[in-house]
Amino acid sequence: MIGHENLLPASSWLLLLAFAGYFAATLLYVSGYIGTRLSHGVRFTRNVMWADGAIWLGVAAHAAAILARWQGAGHWPTSNMYEFVGFLAFSSMLAFGVLNRIYRLPGLGALVAPVGVFLLAYSYVFPPKVQPLVPALKSYWLPLHVSMAALGEGFFAVAFGAALLYLLRVRGLELSAQRAEGAGPAGGAAGARSVHLRREDAWERVWGPRAMEALFYLILVMVGFTLLALTLRYSGFQWVFDTATYHLPPLIGPFGDAVGSKGSFLGLPMPLLEAPYWMRAKHVNSLLYSLAVGGLLYGLIRRFFTRGPIGDYLSLRVHGNPEVMDEVSYRAVAIGYPVFTLGGLIFAMLWANEAWGRYWFWDPKETWAFIAWLTYTAYLHLRISHGWEGRKSAWLAVLGFGVILFTLIGVNLLIVGLHSYAGGD
Amino acid sequence: MLILLIAVASIAGSLIEQETLYQDWRPPKLYYPDRYGAFWGNLFLRLGLTHTYSSVWYATLILLVVVSLIICSFHRLVPLHRALTRPQVWKLAPFIRRQEVSHEVEGNLEEAATLLRKRGYKVVRDRECLYADKGRLSRYGPYIIHIGLLIVAFAGFSRALPGWDETRDVWIADGQTVKVPETEFALTNHKFTLEFHPNGAPAHFATDASLLKNGEEVARTSIEVNHPLRYDGWRFYQTSWREEPGTARLKVMAAPPLEQHLLTLELDLRQPEAVYPIGDRFELHVLSYYHDFVVDPATGEPGNASFEIRNPVLLGDFYDRQTGQVIGKIALAVFAKEPPVYQGPFYLAVDTVEPRLFTALKLHKDRSIPYMFTGLSVVMTGMMITFFVFHWQVWVREENGVLVYGARAYKNRFGLRQEFRRLLGIPDGEGNVS
Repeated sequence: MIGHENLLPASSWLLLLAFAGYFAATLLYVSGYIGTRLSHGVRFTRNVMWADGAIWLGVAAHAAAILARWQGAGHWPTSNMYEFVGFLAFSSMLAFGVLNRIYRLPGLGALVAPVGVFLLAYSYVFPPKVQPLVPALKSYWLPLHVSMAALGEGFFAVAFGAALLYLLRVRGLELSAQRAEGAGPAGGAAGARSVHLRREDAWERVWGPRAMEALFYLILVMVGFTLLALTLRYSGFQWVFDTATYHLPPLIGPFGDAVGSKGSFLGLPMPLLEAPYWMRAKHVNSLLYSLAVGGLLYGLIRRFFTRGPIGDYLSLRVHGNPEVMDEVSYRAVAIGYPVFTLGGLIFAMLWANEAWGRYWFWDPKETWAFIAWLTYTAYLHLRISHGWEGRKSAWLAVLGFGVILFTLIGVNLLIVGLHSYAGGD
Repeated sequence: MLILLIAVASIAGSLIEQETLYQDWRPPKLYYPDRYGAFWGNLFLRLGLTHTYSSVWYATLILLVVVSLIICSFHRLVPLHRALTRPQVWKLAPFIRRQEVSHEVEGNLEEAATLLRKRGYKVVRDRECLYADKGRLSRYGPYIIHIGLLIVAFAGFSRALPGWDETRDVWIADGQTVKVPETEFALTNHKFTLEFHPNGAPAHFATDASLLKNGEEVARTSIEVNHPLRYDGWRFYQTSWREEPGTARLKVMAAPPLEQHLLTLELDLRQPEAVYPIGDRFELHVLSYYHDFVVDPATGEPGNASFEIRNPVLLGDFYDRQTGQVIGKIALAVFAKEPPVYQGPFYLAVDTVEPRLFTALKLHKDRSIPYMFTGLSVVMTGMMITFFVFHWQVWVREENGVLVYGARAYKNRFGLRQEFRRLLGIPDGEGNVS
């Protein structure tokens, strides 16, 4: 029997095991999915099976980690950003596991397992210390509301993965068709002219690949931010202002600190600019670096690895039946939507009614949850009664998950509100 | 389209600080121009973006949704109901083959009907054709959701009715009873408890409170965050607390050269008494008291700078009851470091200042709550039916001893395909079933 005082360290180790599981699953899915195809079904044939195992191992270890932390900390571990983002990783992988059991869609794991890896890595950006609960969080609604909402969001994450896979696959089919059609540039142009394009297809052909590149850039910005934050957390660099401590050279200093007041860095005065008073200078500063690091990563990958647009490179390596991908994305939304409505909105209202004396406050977090709900409502309506299948629908699923991420992370970092106790620094 | 408009409007409302949420004492008219600059601040105020969710145009958007919900739902519900209850059974083979899932097997219609009935389908026959479906309820789901949303919207709007959404805030010090304005209630705070975590964050706060109705105690309980008291449609919430200087313990000293501590007075810093006895013979008469003393520069008159107890100042006379004479004077600033100004045989020295805790309780009566949560339960029921019950339709036509099966899934195509594999015993990869 594990002693009570060992529960928290045990939880950390289990979490590490979960991380290893997700990471191994990522590698196995990618190699299994692409490798099998490249070797014409000779090599890596059992990798996907192993990957499924690795996912379930990760999910089981993660569940145990959550339970151990629950017992060790004395409260359900979804009370700060570190715990919540970790829980989101868990629920995404759980949702993936469930849908993967039904659909056995090869390739989905190659896109969704990295989401779990990323989220779990991202959770380490926040301080992992157990923080005691403020009175407002002491309620049985904490596990109910937050876990249920996170589970719904996990399904939305899978919907996002499947939608992305679908978009890549369709683009891949298009590219192969184009290449088969015209051997040279003249032939290509003639071929394109000969194909009768509907207006939305033309729109999609022009903007689709660009939007795809923008999406990969944004993903790399988030990855860049996480890498940066993790490196700097342990590097010990810091610039201390009265109102905030920066771990990155302050390009934008807090309001009230003069330019150059913290000496210079690489010959530049620090801070380089003074923020206007309404800006959350520290977060904007981090955002600037993330944009730059994301750009750098994107440039490097595009120049040296994919040698062309990342979307095009990936789309030619995606295979499988696009209709099933579309269906999985829809199904994931169709499961996530009621779960999210119950956990993210209804339970939230019941709790608010109990704790704050009013069921709806239009607090930014609530408002954004409502916006996310509206986005998926629009998705379902457009799909069911306006026949939006395929690409348009897939882009909406991507957008919806973007709104979800903003609700969960952006709102805490950028906007102040009643949920601000959930924000990490 | 409307949905997206509401989304955009909501985004605007979340990015601009709302009147109900900003933490500043200034009224909106002064606050917003300062916060966002004169141009934008006034523009936001004029457009109602500072109270987006209670603005006229936001309510209009919601109303438009309500109207379109009603119209669309009934517009579609009637033909849908007819189509579901009176389906077209007789179909030509090409129609059946065109369905999402289709397959042909040998057999006769009777067997097909039995097979389908066994799997829970409702079967209707017409000549050489058969129609079967299950999970029909699923198709009504969206309308149940919409009805629920209508209830929710009306519950939301109903709070604008007079008396449907009332709140009162009261601050009560330990041991005090406060009448709640415009109600028959009064609240007693027997004891307010406050505990902190080692890191300084509040761990627990609760009020041991009595609720009095027309002077009689009707409830006594501990009101805590997440555990409100409920009574007669009202709920009493613990919201906050406040600490202020409560009582100052003042030492009455005999003036030098004696320097002797005679006794200690307790001065309520919110409302001191007019007279404090000092022994049997003397009294301290409080001539004037200010809880936040300031001299108005324009008039030269003393007064209070704020409601807070920041700079309590007492001006008093020492009075001899035997002679009926004023024997001394004192001016004491309780928080000042300088010694008091006095004349005569006594003076006052501050010993300690005890804090006083106020609990903040919020009363809320919201008649929309039962309707709101009824509406939400209807929504949730509708969602369960919509997303977890699947409507599958099957047509079968017998042609020369061959059964042509065709099936359509309103949701979960994949599940239907699997169902058909099992139903007709088709191995993987055969027929138009994959």
